[in-house]
Amino acid sequence: MGFSTILDVIGSMIIGGILLSITMRLNDAATAKTYNYSGELSLQENMATVAQIIEDDFRKIGYCADWNKFPDPTKAVVFANESSIKYLTDIDYDSNMDSIRYYLGPTSELLSTPNPRDRMLYRVLNNEAPKSANLGVTQFRMVYFDALGDTLLPPILNPALITSVEINLTVESVAAYDTAYSSAFWRQIRLVARNLKNR
Amino acid sequence: MSGKASLLVVMGFNLIFLVLSKNFGDVSSRTVDNYVNYYQGTVAHDIAISAANIAANQIFLDPTWDDGYSDIPFQGGSYDVQLAVIDPYKNIREITAEGNFGGKTSTVKVKFAPSKFSKFAYYSVSEGGTIWWTGNDTVWGPFHTQDYLRAAYHPVFYGKATTKKSLIYYTSQKADKPYFLGGYEQGVNLPLPSDAVDKMESFADDDGLKFSGKDTVYLMFAGDSLKYKYKHSDPYLSLYLPAESPNGMIFAKDCVLRLKGTVKGQYTIGCSSTMSLGKGTIYLDDDIVFNQDPRIHPTSNDLLGICAENSVYITDNIPNRSDINIHGSIYCEKGGFGAQNYDSRPKSGNINLLGGIIQNTRKAVGTFSSGSIKTGFAKRYAYDNRLLVASPPFFPGTGGFEIVSWLE
Repeated sequence: MGFSTILDVIGSMIIGGILLSITMRLNDAATAKTYNYSGELSLQENMATVAQIIEDDFRKIGYCADWNKFPDPTKAVVFANESSIKYLTDIDYDSNMDSIRYYLGPTSELLSTPNPRDRMLYRVLNNEAPKSANLGVTQFRMVYFDALGDTLLPPILNPALITSVEINLTVESVAAYDTAYSSAFWRQIRLVARNLKNR
Repeated sequence: MSGKASLLVVMGFNLIFLVLSKNFGDVSSRTVDNYVNYYQGTVAHDIAISAANIAANQIFLDPTWDDGYSDIPFQGGSYDVQLAVIDPYKNIREITAEGNFGGKTSTVKVKFAPSKFSKFAYYSVSEGGTIWWTGNDTVWGPFHTQDYLRAAYHPVFYGKATTKKSLIYYTSQKADKPYFLGGYEQGVNLPLPSDAVDKMESFADDDGLKFSGKDTVYLMFAGDSLKYKYKHSDPYLSLYLPAESPNGMIFAKDCVLRLKGTVKGQYTIGCSSTMSLGKGTIYLDDDIVFNQDPRIHPTSNDLLGICAENSVYITDNIPNRSDINIHGSIYCEKGGFGAQNYDSRPKSGNINLLGGIIQNTRKAVGTFSSGSIKTGFAKRYAYDNRLLVASPPFFPGTGGFEIVSWLE
């Protein structure tokens, strides 16, 4: 084996190493991007799903298919605080009032996910078991306003004062490459349930 | 050999990049799809709400409007509105507004019912000068005034409050802001009709009961019976009300009406005036109450409307010296509800009202010194929640509709 052969081998090894390194970097970057892009897509879908459910439910506060059965909308909100609300509505249009409660669970419930901040957002219909799915919710915070548009400071001792709600929702990806979690924020600046203002 | 290898390497990388870019492209497309779906749904919903508001406004402007709208372009989309009378007897109407945008459709359904003045716990055209609603005042049902709402030390309004004019604070918003538990709207114009009591005569002529040609009519409800006379010294005569007034309207034309008793059933009493001084006035000579108090008997059907063309006064007499109990909705078209000789009569206890007061001009029921009664009455007004969904027969209406249910 001559000197030139050794040089060829060494040169090949260097070039091969460079190629291998590029391939590995490419693989790593591709994996990271795929992970993050897919995560962001899921995140966005989760956000849209949660927002649509919340909007759909909250707009029905105080609604009853038979309005004679629930004529006084001031009784619609049962209790409300920063991260929890319970209200009355006729969710299945059967003219019987149902109660719906939203609340955020503790982070300790989702220790199995890599994201340390995600929580379960629960929806409780009447006395049924709380229902939820891990959609990566990390913040569910509400601010309440009275009839003159002034902020009601918690604790809300008299929920009948509430006429509109600001809803803040943050959703993060439940898992991320290198713990670089993506997040999305949604705010409904003033959600007004029209039935609260009927009469 | 090396050329082939290079080609393979290049092709391999190309393949990898192709797969990756397709994957990223798919993700981007789905992200945009998701965004567009949410956006289209939101805009369709907003269009539907706008359509419902446009139709509602049309109904408020013209209560007979029932044309609806078809395929009206709006905000890059379109809307349709249909109007249906879902209960012809009660004249309950429903509009169904559909918003369309980018292939998405959203629907809003709104129900309307004729609006009656009897729903108000308190209504006034004029607040009688500069009377302030104070922290001692609580209004338990819907409130409206065509005047300013003058607030001092946080008065409480449990029902929806509306005013034509603005809010005035005694010192500052912080010190005086009212608590509106049913919401508040300013700029609502809801005038009192000027001939609603006169129109009651035709209802009395048609299956009701009418008294006419007398200066004064004394009426005493006694369950199913109505006792009446025309002079204080006369004995009462008796009528069986379900037979004499099957439609529930009792009308006293151009006279003074003196009223008391226990009401069983649903009746409205109207008292008119043809420009004669003092006529069209109702005096409450003693308690006028329901046979079954709905606070004790929730299934009670007893309802009473007390409608005077001028004013309703609590008589200054011995039975009214220690409290008066009034069950019913009081309507004073040109005057107000007050106590006779409010500033000279003795301390008379409480006015225990279950119902509402609809009046042209706020009147006094007593005078106060250092927070305690000096003459007349203290107010203990409770709202009859049944008035949100029911009203005494032929009680004056506002002439329009109100939204009773909104589904989106």
